[in-house]
Amino acid sequence: MILLESHSVVIQNTLQERFNKPGSIDVQFVDFDGVRFRLSTPTSKEVIVLSMHMRCWEQLVKYGVDDVIKREYGSRVMAQPEAEYHVSIEYAIDSIPPAGEQRDELIKCASLLKRNALAAPFERAFATQKTLESSASTDLPGDLMEIRYRDEEAIYVQAANDRVTVVFSTIFKDETDRTFGKVFLQEFVDARRQNTAMQHAPQVLYSSRDPPLEIRNVPGLIRSDDVGYVTFVLFPQHFSSPDRMEATISHIQLFRDYLHYHIKCSKAYMHSRMRARVTEFLKVLNRAKMENREVERKTVSGRTLVHR
Amino acid sequence: MSSLRPYLAAVRSTLTAALALENFASQVVERHNLPEVEAATSGEVLLNPLTISRNEKEQVLIEPSINSVRMSIRIKQQDDIERILCHKFTRFMMMRAENFVILRRKPVQGYDISFLITNFHSETMLKHKLVDFIIQFMEEVDKEISETRLSLNARARIVAESYLATFG
Amino acid sequence: MALLAPIILDNGTGYSKIGFAGNSDPSFVFPTAIATREQGATNTRGPAVPAKPGNLASKRGIEDLDFFIGDEAVANSKTYGLHYPIRHGLIDNWDHMERYWEQCIFKYLRAEPEDHYFLLTEPPLNPPENREMTAEIFFETFNIQGLYIAVQAVLALAASWTSKSAQARPGERTLTGTVIDSGDGVTHVIPVAEGYVIGSAIKHIPIAGRDISQFVLNLMRERGETTTIPPEDQLRVAGKVKEDYSYVCQDIVKEFRKYDEEPYKYFVRYDGEHSVTKRKYSVDVGYERFLAPEIFFNPEIYSSDFLTPLPEVVDGVIQQSPIDVRRGLYKNIVLSGGSTMFDHFGQRLKRDLKKLVDQRIEASEVSSKSAMRSTGVEVNVISHKRQRYAVWYGGALLASLPDFYSYCHTKAQYEEVGPSICRRYQIFGSATS
Repeated sequence: MILLESHSVVIQNTLQERFNKPGSIDVQFVDFDGVRFRLSTPTSKEVIVLSMHMRCWEQLVKYGVDDVIKREYGSRVMAQPEAEYHVSIEYAIDSIPPAGEQRDELIKCASLLKRNALAAPFERAFATQKTLESSASTDLPGDLMEIRYRDEEAIYVQAANDRVTVVFSTIFKDETDRTFGKVFLQEFVDARRQNTAMQHAPQVLYSSRDPPLEIRNVPGLIRSDDVGYVTFVLFPQHFSSPDRMEATISHIQLFRDYLHYHIKCSKAYMHSRMRARVTEFLKVLNRAKMENREVERKTVSGRTLVHR
Repeated sequence: MSSLRPYLAAVRSTLTAALALENFASQVVERHNLPEVEAATSGEVLLNPLTISRNEKEQVLIEPSINSVRMSIRIKQQDDIERILCHKFTRFMMMRAENFVILRRKPVQGYDISFLITNFHSETMLKHKLVDFIIQFMEEVDKEISETRLSLNARARIVAESYLATFG
Repeated sequence: MALLAPIILDNGTGYSKIGFAGNSDPSFVFPTAIATREQGATNTRGPAVPAKPGNLASKRGIEDLDFFIGDEAVANSKTYGLHYPIRHGLIDNWDHMERYWEQCIFKYLRAEPEDHYFLLTEPPLNPPENREMTAEIFFETFNIQGLYIAVQAVLALAASWTSKSAQARPGERTLTGTVIDSGDGVTHVIPVAEGYVIGSAIKHIPIAGRDISQFVLNLMRERGETTTIPPEDQLRVAGKVKEDYSYVCQDIVKEFRKYDEEPYKYFVRYDGEHSVTKRKYSVDVGYERFLAPEIFFNPEIYSSDFLTPLPEVVDGVIQQSPIDVRRGLYKNIVLSGGSTMFDHFGQRLKRDLKKLVDQRIEASEVSSKSAMRSTGVEVNVISHKRQRYAVWYGGALLASLPDFYSYCHTKAQYEEVGPSICRRYQIFGSATS
């Protein structure tokens, strides 16, 4: 698995199972970036409620998440979300289409709840870019949108007349991660330059310590060696058609998780290399042991023969 | 690269010479038999330590004594990545020091990894093979680190390209 | 930030149960299997040397990301090599296990490990080196916040706190008891005293879920029922019959008579469908309904090498334990694992065990010429709703207690001390501690 998927497997599995065979459930689980979910049947077995808590919800509300959720989930959105959660979606069993494509579609959509919510600021930025482009007169960039999706990390999205800039602030708590992270990020920056097949990819910039120009004025930025800023410059071609826009949003959201996933995979790979190497060294060392060592001899019944 | 051979040859002959060990009970504590190079309780049984260096970053310290030799290696590390990889690797090995009977659980200060060979080791193990092991370790650890580093870069490249390709 | 729920990983020989603390069921239950591109699956002793380090193939790429785990691994076993990284409860291939965990966390649980605490389980008598290696992987590869490694049997005891009889006495949350853990491959009887396993008294019984299915199949073959079932489905059907229709009877002879007198009342029909051709078939299910679990109580009907009935094994285990905990062990016999799920299993075990205990007491009273009178020994077998995934559930329960975090080894501690920190094992959650 190289790329991470956007949907939540727990939601998908649970809904699939419960739509076929209704029964009471109450499970809580998570998604990347500290998103918390709850799937439950609070009133009756026939009504499944999916609730989500997102740390950056207040900010997302400013960027129009409610509209996106309305659009995706329509009348299923509950007017009053469950306590401690930000959004709740209701699935009454009798309103579920029969097993088949339509139902799968519905389940898929439910499992993309986090992705859809986090899509709001990006969609807005893409729309802003369109209007800026058509007005053409001013060169002023659109509003800078800040999404503090993790405790110490944030995404900044800003539209200009010919581009949309997405900045990730990253922080590595572990020294190994930091070093590995730098190697990875450097490759992100270089990939486009070195590989001609990558010409259509967004431009990537990386700076450690100093924030890029776009967000220099944001209050409360931390400046330390642990912090880095990754800038993606998305051009209109990346969000020209609805399909492409959807894919772009899905991928860019998961950038941080993707990066961290691969840092961890590299460490796992490094571990298996080291295991192999250490066993090899051990073999070499064992060759030094005297060969005439008494081999333990055993009888058929497993008892050991001992010299007296 | 050309200096590697003489460097290893020097380590090999020094180490072989230093491995003239005999059973020697502690002069300070009755009925104890400690590696004198570690205990350092009687100065007269310690021999002169010796440093063999290929350059500033690659050095070997050999500390002989009457019944034990301590050998420490400073492994080449060119930048942060190699430093981390080296640290990880030596730590990984030292975690398994139980199996590597001659490996010290902690390196001597200033070095990356240390071995302690006592007379008991040289009695139960073939001396020249022990030296072979150390030399092979020195040869391969550098190779391992640079290979890991290369593969890390290659991975990073693929990861970055796979990600960016999705934007098509 | 509110702490995110700890993640509970219970990796067993056959199946892994993974999920989040606070829930009553694991989010995923799938085989502990990994399907990789590497060839030569035969040698599983010691770490498999991955494509010789240094050769070009491993330098170029990320082949090590091309693998599947769980059900997907089994589904892809035609084109990939299938491996089971855990053998007899112990992790056998660390490379595979590390990658197995990698995908558990990132693909299935979708959690950033840096944000979570983890509770892992280990079999009794797990060597401390294994704990260190586990800690090394979780702290160094995944950078997790904190780790707690719990013994499976102890978690099974904790899970029994939800049973009705235990809830009636909330003050007595004890971690003393005998755990009968019967999964797919093997059955263990493990005595635990105040959270610590009495290693010397553990007994294994080579009869478990797989054997019961096989036994059901044998019985059905003998009666000629299997002729209608396609051969490749037979074992699966037997497993289904075992799960859905079997129960433990109190007296075999009576039960046989009951069936013979009113076969229509007790025989049931199982309807199946061929997995490929969709052809329908059906079989009659009869005596195997009560004979299947009977192999625990009368093993001679199935096996010729292992002949000790389960109650006797349990009694033996408790008799081998220190004398001062035996009362506690008899009083709290806890069932865990899928193969203990048969109806009335607990009652039957209790009855048979009680009989053994009472006989012994009587004999000792007689030999002391009735000079001493025993007050009797209480024998209790506890069944509860969470029995199937009892170990996982016990973990989820303990990890949702507020003081769980203070018993974890944290990342900072790990960095200070190193992996050896995990050699120390701290029990918690018991009201007596």
